[in-house]
Order: sequence, then C-alpha cells, then structure tokens
Amino acid sequence: MTILETAEFGPVARPAEATPWRNRSTSTLTSIGLASVLPVVLAFLIAMHFAMPGATALVAVFVPLQLIAAGTAATFVGGRRGIPDAILTVFVLVLVLLVAVVLGSVLLNLIRKGIHALSIQFLFYDSTYVTSATSLDYGGVFHAIIGTLIVVGIAALVTIPLGIGVGVFLTETRSPMRGPVRFITQSMTGLPSIVSGLFIYAFFVLSGFSKQVGWLASAALLLLMLPTVARLSEEVLKLVPQDLRSAAMALGAPRNKAFFQVILPAARSGIITAILLGLARIVGETAPLLMTTIPGDATNYKPFSGLMSTLPTYIYKWVSAGSEIAVQRAWGAALVLLILVGIIFTLARIFGKQKF
Amino acid sequence: MLVDGDKITRVDLFASKSRRGDRVFFGFAKAAAYFAFSLVFLVFIFLSWRSASTFKEQGFSFVTGSTWDQATNTFQIMPMLVGSLVLVVLALIVAVPSSIAVAYFIEFMAPARIARWATNVVDLLAALPSIVIALWGAFVFTPVAASWGRLLNQYFGSIPFFKNEVDNYYRSPFIGGWILAIMMIPIITSVSREVISRVDKELVNASYALGATRFSAMRRVILPTARGGILGGILLGIGRGLGETIAILYTINLIFHVNIVRILENRGGAVAPMIASYYGEAESKAISALLAAGVVLFGATLIVNMFATYIVQRSEKKMAS
Repeated sequence: MTILETAEFGPVARPAEATPWRNRSTSTLTSIGLASVLPVVLAFLIAMHFAMPGATALVAVFVPLQLIAAGTAATFVGGRRGIPDAILTVFVLVLVLLVAVVLGSVLLNLIRKGIHALSIQFLFYDSTYVTSATSLDYGGVFHAIIGTLIVVGIAALVTIPLGIGVGVFLTETRSPMRGPVRFITQSMTGLPSIVSGLFIYAFFVLSGFSKQVGWLASAALLLLMLPTVARLSEEVLKLVPQDLRSAAMALGAPRNKAFFQVILPAARSGIITAILLGLARIVGETAPLLMTTIPGDATNYKPFSGLMSTLPTYIYKWVSAGSEIAVQRAWGAALVLLILVGIIFTLARIFGKQKF
Repeated sequence: MLVDGDKITRVDLFASKSRRGDRVFFGFAKAAAYFAFSLVFLVFIFLSWRSASTFKEQGFSFVTGSTWDQATNTFQIMPMLVGSLVLVVLALIVAVPSSIAVAYFIEFMAPARIARWATNVVDLLAALPSIVIALWGAFVFTPVAASWGRLLNQYFGSIPFFKNEVDNYYRSPFIGGWILAIMMIPIITSVSREVISRVDKELVNASYALGATRFSAMRRVILPTARGGILGGILLGIGRGLGETIAILYTINLIFHVNIVRILENRGGAVAPMIASYYGEAESKAISALLAAGVVLFGATLIVNMFATYIVQRSEKKMAS
C-alpha cells in the first residue's frame, strides 16, 4: 500500500480563490504600505518636536523606527524568517540613500557656491594683479584653463599611443611577457599620485635637469594615465572578434595594416572611451601638479619655461590665500573643473554606448 | 611567386615592405609594453636610491619614532603611518557596507532604469576630482561632521574612542575617515558590482525556489561566490585611500604625535598629505626623508595593489570557468 492510496490523501480540492500568480495578498500590501509610511511620518514628527538636526534624526530616530516597522511587517508576511530580510532591505536602502545624499550635496554645493564667481570675465581673464582682496569683478581662471589644457594635452599626446601600444602588445602578440606586463600595469593603476609627483620632482628638479615647468607636470600625469589607458584598451581590443583578424589576414593584409584598417576602427568607440576615462582620471589631479609646477598668475602658453598654473593648483593657491573672496574664486574654479570633467564624462558615456 | 610547388612559404605571403611595417609596429608595441613595465621599477629604485641616506641615518627609527625636526635632522614618520592606518580603517567601516549595499541594490533590487542611473552616479562619483571633494570636505562637510562628533562625545564620551579632551572637533581623523570613505566607495562599489553581476543568476533563482529569502540568498549564495572579488575591490580601495593626498590635507591636522584611539580629537596624520605639506619648506636632508616616506608609501600601496590585482584576476578566472 503506497501513501497515495491512504484514505486521508484523497484528491486535493483546488481552493476557489487560488491565484498563485498574485503573490501579494491585501494584508501583505497593507503591511508593506504601513511599514513604509508610518516610520517616515513618526520620525518627522519626533524630529520636529525635539528640533533635531537632519542627520541625527535620520540615524537616531528614523532608521530604528524603520527597522522595527519593516521587521513587524515582515513577520506578518513571511513569519520569523522575514525579519533578517527586512533588516537587509532597510540597511541597503539607507546606505544607498547615504551615498546619493553625499553626491548630491557635493554637486549642489559646488554649483551654488561656484555660480557666484562664474562669469564671462572669470573665464576669459587671467589673474595678473589680482590679490586675495581683489573683488570678483576682476581677474579669472583663463590662465589656469590654458595651463590645464596644455599640461593634460601633452600628457595625453604621449600616453595615448603608448597605452594603445601596450594594449596591442597584450592582445596581438603571443609574447611570454604578456602576463607580467599585464600584472604590473594593472597594479600600477593604484600608484599614489603624490608618489608620481615626488618621483618626477626628484628625477628632474632635484637633479638640476630642469626647473618646475609645465611639461614636468605632464610627465607626472603620464605615470597616472598610462595604466588606465593600457588596461582599458586591452579590454576593448580583446572584444574585437577573432574572425575579423583572420579575415584581414586571409585577404593578405600584413598585421600592422590589419590593425590600423580593421581592428582599430572596429574598436574605435571603446578606445575613445578608454582615452576619455584616462583623461578624467588625470584632469583633476592636484598633488603631482603641486610638486612639479609653480602656479603663476599670468597666462603662459609655453610648457618648457615659466610659471604654469592649472585649475587644481589655482584652487589650492586661492584656498591657501584664505580670504573669503579667494575661497569664492576657488569654488568658481572648482565648478569650471567639474564642468570640464562633466564634458569628458558625458563624451565617454556617449562613445561607450556605441556598439562595435 | 606565391605558390612554390605545394608549399606556401611564409616569406612569399608578405611583401618585403609590409614586413618592415610589421616590425616597426610590433617593435613599438613591445617598446611601449616594456616601458610601462619598467616604470614601476624605475620609480621604486630611483626613489630608494635618492632616499638611501635617510634610511641609513635614521635606521629603523624612521618608521618607529615620532619626531620630525629639521633643526636636529631627526626624521621619523610613525605618527603618519599610524594615522594613515587609522584613517583607512575608519573609512572602511563606512565604505565597505555602503559599497556592497549599493552594488547589491543595483544588481538585485533596483528596476533596470534606476539601476542604470545608479551605475552612472557611482561612476560620476569616481570621476570627481579629489580637489573638489577636498573643497567640499573642508567648507561644507567639516562643520556638519564636527557637530556629529560633538554629539557622539556627548552621548558616548565614556567609550575611549569618543573621548575628547581638547574640545575641538574640527580636523579630526573622524572627519578624514568620512572623506576617505567617499573616495573609496566608487572603487569598491564598481568592483563588487562587477563580481556580483557575474554570480550565476540561475544559482540565485534556484535558491529562491528552494525557499531562500533575500537575506539567506545574500549570505549563503551571493557573498560566498563573490567574496574573492569583493575583497579585491576592498584592497583596491585601501590602495586609493593610502595614496589620497589633497582631500585629507584639507580635512585633518597633521600632528607628529601618535594618536590611535581618540578619533574625535584634532590630532591625526597620514603619509601622503604629509609629503605634500612639508616638501615646500624642506631642506635637502628633509627632502631625502620625504622621498623615503614616499618609498614607504609606494611600497605599501604597491603590495596592496598587487595583492588586489591577483585576487581579482583569480576570482575572474574562477567565475569564467
């Protein structure tokens, strides 16, 4: 006699209102709704009553309340096992909120404080004859923008071919050195920027080879940009289908022509993204520029002589000057820098979206 | 002639000119690769060579003493090393849960559109220049965090960590730790998101089918599978944190006095900002000592990063197979 034949195991009647696809009953929905509304309202009322500052209210009142509410709701819905689930959900959402608030605060403050200083004249005048007491109607960041463009431009001009070259070495050759090269360049991604500045300073300035001029900053930035470009261009070149290479070979193309006429165009958008991400990494670097250049106030187009000011060192300089107007100048320059980064970032997104 | 009897020889396939082209092309690639490869060693060896005199004169006390005095030529950086570690630990306490939470949110909780948006936000946070974070930290965040510190001291002052006898809550390691956490979050998040997204979705769904809750799936399936990658991401974050200069320089006081416990007092330290703030007025001996500090910093970050790279690469390989 099998179990199925026993008396109490007759045919199971299908419940009349069975809707297994609707996995949320009314009571579930009610408890979820209550658990999401009640803590917010309660926390708000308590915070208002005791006049607490926002962050304290959030951590000391809202989070515990929300945890209790979510836990209770979860016991209603899924029994005791629901409690850790509810706690996980609440913590994840609170932490995500924290990150969002931080980023929002950075951007909002930057725009709010930077917009004061920003004007046409701020963008197109340099800071000759400007002191920390000069009103914001005079002087600007033109020299720093030019400096940043020169310094970053030279770094990019040298780094891009080198970085792509490393990518080619890693994807197109069968050299036994590929492993070590990949490993070392990848660990170099974490080279502290201050060390790169220190190295260039010691190598060129301390040895008396050169003064602190623009191209030294480019050299320091090269050390920081090269690993990023190399690693990303390797990733991109790896994505180009092997068939394309074989097809080019089969047509009789030598490998360098196959690379320049087939593989590189196929990987174009990815390579551009790699370059842009490398640029985003270095455009706001401050520490190496502090060590390798001396910020000036006049516009200087020459990377091999004279004082070279860049946006980050401009900010540093005016923050050090200390007066209120000087700090406003720094915020203005920071906004300009952010806009620059934003442009690079958006371009990277646009190119990154294109498919091969 | 292309065909020589039955054999097609390699020589015939390529015209001589293009072979030269190939040689130049691959020669350049090889040169670039070896250049990138040797840079690390060049930096390390050169800095060590220039700072050898400091290591010789100060001996082991360079990393165990706490005096920095140009007048007597005593250069010891222990408070800065300890300060760096304290900052990194504080930052990790905030950054690790936040990063894993954001990664989990993006991969498993958020609807597709919000997930894409959140990914972009994290990337944007990674692209923010440190000088911008530094400005924000010094002028916007410091007063807020100082008030948090005051509250912590008020209610939990009996715990040694929250003791404060100087009654100044500005420029403390507590604030620096928060700032460092903000710099670390994007890195740890993007690496963990990458790894979590590679966890086999069928495995997760299977665990749900077996009655797993979100929590148990997270603890028993997702975290064990993604552990290696997340650890690698955390190490990369530590590397970034150790090297962070300007944001820390703007938010903490660098004091040559070891301070591990009193994180709310305005006495802290970190190697990278110390180099940036002292090199300006340093004389030749002090410069050599700063280079030595750079060597120590570089060595530490290099070890952390190599370890991280190794772990990430290994976990990627494991997941691919």
